[in-house]
Amino acid sequence: MKAAHILKCLLMTLLPAIYAVTCIFPVVWLFYTSFKTMGEFSISVLALPESFLRLDNFIYVLTEVNVLKYMLNTLRITVVVLFFVVLFSFINGYFLARFKFRGRGFLAVLYTCNLVIPAHAVLVPTYILFSRINLSNHWYSTVLPMVCMELTVGIFLVSGYIQTVPKELEEAAAIDGSSFSRTLFTIILPVVRPVLITCAIITFFHCWNEFSFSLILFNTEELFTLPLALMRFKGEYSVDYPRIMTTMFVSIVPALLIYICFSKQIIKGMMAGAVKG
Amino acid sequence: MNDSFKPRKLLMAAYLLPSFFTYLFIFILPSIMSIILSFFKFSSIKAFRFIGFQNYLMLLKDSNIWLALKNNLFLVFTCMIGQIGIAFVLSCLLNSRLTYLSTPLRTIIYFPVTLSAVVIGYVWKFVFDYNYGLITYFCNFVGKEEWIRPWLSDGNTIMWFICIPMIWQYVGFHIVIMMSAMSSIDPSIYEMAEIDGATGFQKATKITLPLIKSTLFVCVWLCISANMKAFDHILSMTNGGPGMSSNVLSLYAYTVAFRNSNMGYGSAVSVFILAITSLLFALSQIVKNAIAEKE
Repeated sequence: MKAAHILKCLLMTLLPAIYAVTCIFPVVWLFYTSFKTMGEFSISVLALPESFLRLDNFIYVLTEVNVLKYMLNTLRITVVVLFFVVLFSFINGYFLARFKFRGRGFLAVLYTCNLVIPAHAVLVPTYILFSRINLSNHWYSTVLPMVCMELTVGIFLVSGYIQTVPKELEEAAAIDGSSFSRTLFTIILPVVRPVLITCAIITFFHCWNEFSFSLILFNTEELFTLPLALMRFKGEYSVDYPRIMTTMFVSIVPALLIYICFSKQIIKGMMAGAVKG
Repeated sequence: MNDSFKPRKLLMAAYLLPSFFTYLFIFILPSIMSIILSFFKFSSIKAFRFIGFQNYLMLLKDSNIWLALKNNLFLVFTCMIGQIGIAFVLSCLLNSRLTYLSTPLRTIIYFPVTLSAVVIGYVWKFVFDYNYGLITYFCNFVGKEEWIRPWLSDGNTIMWFICIPMIWQYVGFHIVIMMSAMSSIDPSIYEMAEIDGATGFQKATKITLPLIKSTLFVCVWLCISANMKAFDHILSMTNGGPGMSSNVLSLYAYTVAFRNSNMGYGSAVSVFILAITSLLFALSQIVKNAIAEKE
């Protein structure tokens, strides 16, 4: 009976486990292929490298390809976008959830527009608009479009959370003579911190992988973000597979680390969003 | 709701207006512009000429558009069945208390969602590669060399190979959504069914499925919107090729607008995408209502 039960459990686990293996395999494959030469790769694509000490590909990627430059470009944009998304989501989410004011319904609907309008529908006008006002091809060009694309989810998460925070908190602060802004930033902000972190993490991954706006707004290689640079390199180094794979591996390391650290919060945040949606 | 601590109008405006104007200027204005631009012909971003509905007439006659639309619809339906089907089976298994390690497994399965589409596209390109691909490797391994084909250069089957990575990547996403819905089902329902002798399959189809129906519609909705804007996966895997056989609408809009510098026509294609997407949403809503009425 006991053995049969264990067997049944193992069988139940088998299918998800196989699927999970396929999900983690690409990263593992990219990782160990980074230590191989093209010669080794062409003999066997799956075999482990002869030595895990052969760092030529990494040195090449860090010096010749200069992947750190693209990483820095991506990081710079990501940090600024995160700041604005968190700030705007916090303010808008708070006001929309707490107060009745003229235009409240309009604002709430307005910020959900990009659920219906995909980014690709605004690429051409964005390009024209940004070229006309000289905002294209700077490192910060994609910041504002990205902030707008991310606001919807952020506002949604924050306003949902604020509704669970008792109003007595602000009332007590007001009675004690705290000004509105002071209450907002010193009392409410710490209370909603968990949801702001969730919002920041979701935004981080979107920024790190953002492609469409970068594609049309950056045209000098100096400004390229990681996905854009990867796209370009496949053309230039298409003969040396391990080298491309090393570039890809290095480019996903930061996202991988963040995922490992925050996976619990990411999934919890996703679930919270899904339940309300 | 009008409380003692509500700030004065001016202060409120100072808080709300920056993001409002940003959104209006950066997102709403271009959305409206794209409709207006679709009535113009461009030679550069500074010289344009009003041409009425000509872009739309051209669109109706353009065979590439209809091929791209067909590919988009193929993606929407195949991914809907693939993603939601696989995700449902896996979430039922992961949700069962018989399954070991269900939380770490879910965490791993969600991981591909966080990868960039460009990386996903290339990894799968390596999988399907004719010379060095993993599939080629396995065919050689089991001694079936005759099975090896240049998978990504056959226009007739290419869309299937485009679907596989897209299904694979987003299964984890749908699992998380479905499992959060399943966690709100009262476990005593399952216990009662077990006492009555229900099998696992019966529990999944007769209890879980009807109870998370509204969440499944959310998944369908997300599937439609994600696959109508499929872009970077295809750009990195095949670039719409061979020929036009794996082209999709958003890739075509991009190609027309930026590679062929016909921005007016590109805008018309964007508006067309918007119209088709809204139509699909409306259709799914009708299906949803029809099912609700039947019960």
